Amino acid sequence: MTFFIFNLVNGLQLSMLIFLMAVGLTVIFGLMDILNLAHGAFYMVGAYFGYVVFQITDSFWVALAIGPLLTMALGFLLQYYVLQPLIDRGRTAHLDMALLTFGLLFFTIGLIDLVFFETLGLTFMSIDKPPALAGSIDIGIMYPTFRIFVIGLGLGVALSVWLLLDRTVIGAVVRAGVDDREMVRAMGVNVYLVFACVFALGCWLAGLAGVVAGTGLSIDVNMGVQILVPTLIVVVLGGLGSVKGCFLGALIYGMTETMAQAYAPALSLFATYFLLAAMLIFRPQGFFGRAPKTV
Amino acid sequence: MEQSQENNHRAQGGSDVTIHSPIAQQDARARKTFIFTALAGLLFLIALPFFAGEYHLSLASEILIFAILTSGMNLLLGYTGLVSLGHAAYLGVGAYATAVGTALLGYPVWFVMLAATFASLLISFGIGLLSVRTKGVQFLLITLAFGQMFHALAEKTRVTGGDDGMTGIPRIDLGFLGVDADHDQVFFYFVLACFVIALGFLRLVVRSPFGSVLVGIRENEKRMLAMGYSTFPYKALAFGISGMLAGLAGSLWVQHSFFVNPHIMTWQMSGEALLMVIIGGSKAFFGPLLGAAFYVLAKDILSDITEAYLMFFGLLFVLVVAFFHGGIAGFISQIFIRIGRSDRKDL
Repeated sequence: MTFFIFNLVNGLQLSMLIFLMAVGLTVIFGLMDILNLAHGAFYMVGAYFGYVVFQITDSFWVALAIGPLLTMALGFLLQYYVLQPLIDRGRTAHLDMALLTFGLLFFTIGLIDLVFFETLGLTFMSIDKPPALAGSIDIGIMYPTFRIFVIGLGLGVALSVWLLLDRTVIGAVVRAGVDDREMVRAMGVNVYLVFACVFALGCWLAGLAGVVAGTGLSIDVNMGVQILVPTLIVVVLGGLGSVKGCFLGALIYGMTETMAQAYAPALSLFATYFLLAAMLIFRPQGFFGRAPKTV
Repeated sequence: MEQSQENNHRAQGGSDVTIHSPIAQQDARARKTFIFTALAGLLFLIALPFFAGEYHLSLASEILIFAILTSGMNLLLGYTGLVSLGHAAYLGVGAYATAVGTALLGYPVWFVMLAATFASLLISFGIGLLSVRTKGVQFLLITLAFGQMFHALAEKTRVTGGDDGMTGIPRIDLGFLGVDADHDQVFFYFVLACFVIALGFLRLVVRSPFGSVLVGIRENEKRMLAMGYSTFPYKALAFGISGMLAGLAGSLWVQHSFFVNPHIMTWQMSGEALLMVIIGGSKAFFGPLLGAAFYVLAKDILSDITEAYLMFFGLLFVLVVAFFHGGIAGFISQIFIRIGRSDRKDL
């Protein structure tokens, strides 16, 4: 029973980490039709920059606060000054954007490898947990406090994003933008600014996930690619553009992955891909996505 | 480039145009250009072992092997308009089938190569049947998912060495010709022969009515449906053929390097193959070959300077997608059009 609870909480922790990544990706896709494959790059940059901040200030909390700000700024600049002008120049096909951001992911991996590994010679890095989160607490079983913190953070973000999108004027504009972008423009909203802000917010979340992962796990150049595949699976499960679906997808992914590893290790590598393939075959639009237009 | 326009015209105009129409003239000219380019390139490749050293010859073999993979991918990407991010899986199927067939089961290499290529065709056709129900971003993701499944399978399988892979894979026995494929020159010619067969076959495919339907699907799938084509089997078969060529490339790859491990099935591999196609130019028949050549050579040169060669490729990839959709092939053809503009006013 304790083994089961342990895995359950582990699964929840993984779900929340992936959710932090996936929610940005899915809102960006829903609003702007951009499948941002560079989302993994922002996660990486968040972790590395968080590490730098941690080295300077020696505080996890400062790293957590400042690290994601860089990715937020970069995300804003990327969307406002690079992606949007390209879309305006006729690169509207969202596959082009997927390919372009995919190239950007490779670029970032190379750049970080060059700076941190080749120049500075750093290999195994991680941010130290703050004393308050370093131990374990008793939740029926002894469980690492930091992981509980990750779960709390994920739930907090989920709640905030839901409140922001569902209960505020900003959220109303974003939801309207998902439904009919031209009409929102016609009503006098600076859609490009909204796009860039949402993009930046998504990148902030990716950076936040990066710092958290850089603390609980370790920081290396493959982390951006490694997180991207689960993130995409979650986004597809939930339906591209749906926050609610994203949360559900993250829970299903996290639980499947953790439980498969605990109870059926031989199948663990396939379980989640099988889930994705089955979803795309039987319900390509995901749980809450819209049905695709015929052809 | 000419190739796609030409096919485009064929798809729309049919084949009953008279030789005097501008389309037919252009068609004839494009064909002449193609034959000239292909022959010049082939002569160069045949002559290559006479002036290139062992190391560069090995690089050239690598380029041709990658070119088989990327040209096959381009049947999907350039001709049909479907971007797959899981083609490393079929490269891996060909590679592992060859490794198991020769090193574990001891069948002759030529037989295993045929079997491995056929197995890739069957498997990728099956995956194609499932995948081409989706399109666009979803297609990209489902191919990625299947690719990762095969990668996981390769990592988990004990008999093929799991994560470590297998070594000691023999090259094809060309003893009946009196030569030994372990020599890099001989192996290069063998790869070249496979390359010519593969691209010749691909050329036949894209010039056939089947190929015209694929271009039609890329340009306007709704119209193809309205014209009475059931596009689904066409797309699935294109996926199968594309996977088959990837399998052939995989089979050659293990013979080239004598070993195989799951790394060749990672999605980074699929991504790098995609980089090659896009950088080379997905709109031209020989674009993927140029991309493969550029990639292998640039990687070779860059890796002397820095391990972070991905940075440059990523940046280049971004620039090509953003500003120069034709890639290297498009760039070259534009130069030629500019040079020959005076006598090509009618284009």
